[in-house]
Amino acid sequence: MAELAFDAVLDRMFADVPAFADADTFARRVEERLDRGWTARRLVIGGLGLIGGLIGGAQILGSGLLARLGEFTDRSDRVVSALLANLLPSDLVPRGVPFDGEILWMAAGLAAVAVGFAITRAIREF
Amino acid sequence: MAAAGGRTPFGELVRRHASAVRALLRRMGADPALADDLAQDAFLSAFEQISDFRGDGTFQAWVKRIAARLYVKRWRRDGRADAMARAAEGEGDREVVGAADRIDLDDALRALPDAERMCVTLCYGAGLSHAEAALALNTPLGTVKSHVKRGLDKLRRRLAPGREFGDVEKAHG
Repeated sequence: MAELAFDAVLDRMFADVPAFADADTFARRVEERLDRGWTARRLVIGGLGLIGGLIGGAQILGSGLLARLGEFTDRSDRVVSALLANLLPSDLVPRGVPFDGEILWMAAGLAAVAVGFAITRAIREF
Repeated sequence: MAAAGGRTPFGELVRRHASAVRALLRRMGADPALADDLAQDAFLSAFEQISDFRGDGTFQAWVKRIAARLYVKRWRRDGRADAMARAAEGEGDREVVGAADRIDLDDALRALPDAERMCVTLCYGAGLSHAEAALALNTPLGTVKSHVKRGLDKLRRRLAPGREFGDVEKAHG
């Protein structure tokens, strides 16, 4: 009985925590160490991303992908120009406007980026 | 919110519970500088493992257990776990204050031999069961139980000589 009572007294004594004058300083130090950890992680992830990007870029350049893309856009340019020539009277196409395949690819790329932004915004909002 | 990984709410948790963790480590026997280092490590470790916190106890109790285990690891690494064996051979108590004086918990703990102090603080301060303490200390369960019992007897004599704790229990229902 007395032992159980002393257990309770001891529990209360352990729960009685002294106040530390430097409590704020201690908390700041923990937060600083957390921040340092996050900064280190960002640097590592950024560094690895940069290295990965450089390796990927070198692979793309080395594989001749850009040349094949150039050929592909040239072919699509000819196809689109022929299509437009059949569909639109030449008077309707404004002079000086490069209305060809490259413009279409660029517009498609921008549209894809816009859709990406819209999706990420939607995910953040909802 | 801290469980979602937010840093600002976690900073608030540190402010709220750091004193308890630091006090526990000092009561276990760590000097103030080591206690603060280990308390910081415990909070960082808690932040890393926050998804493991199941919420079946308080956050403070969880961090205290992490901190206590970190200290036990350091204690064992420094070779102080030999104190367990020395205590079994009858290591004497330390003289901190006169026996007739009424002293507080920290002084009473300081007067205990290392092994008893460690076992009592692990079980009463950090909330480990005897079996968990035995596992953390890599010591037989019976040894931990006897250290706890001897430590409690000495604490009882020092903290309130001649006091009848049965009355205290009645007073608190």
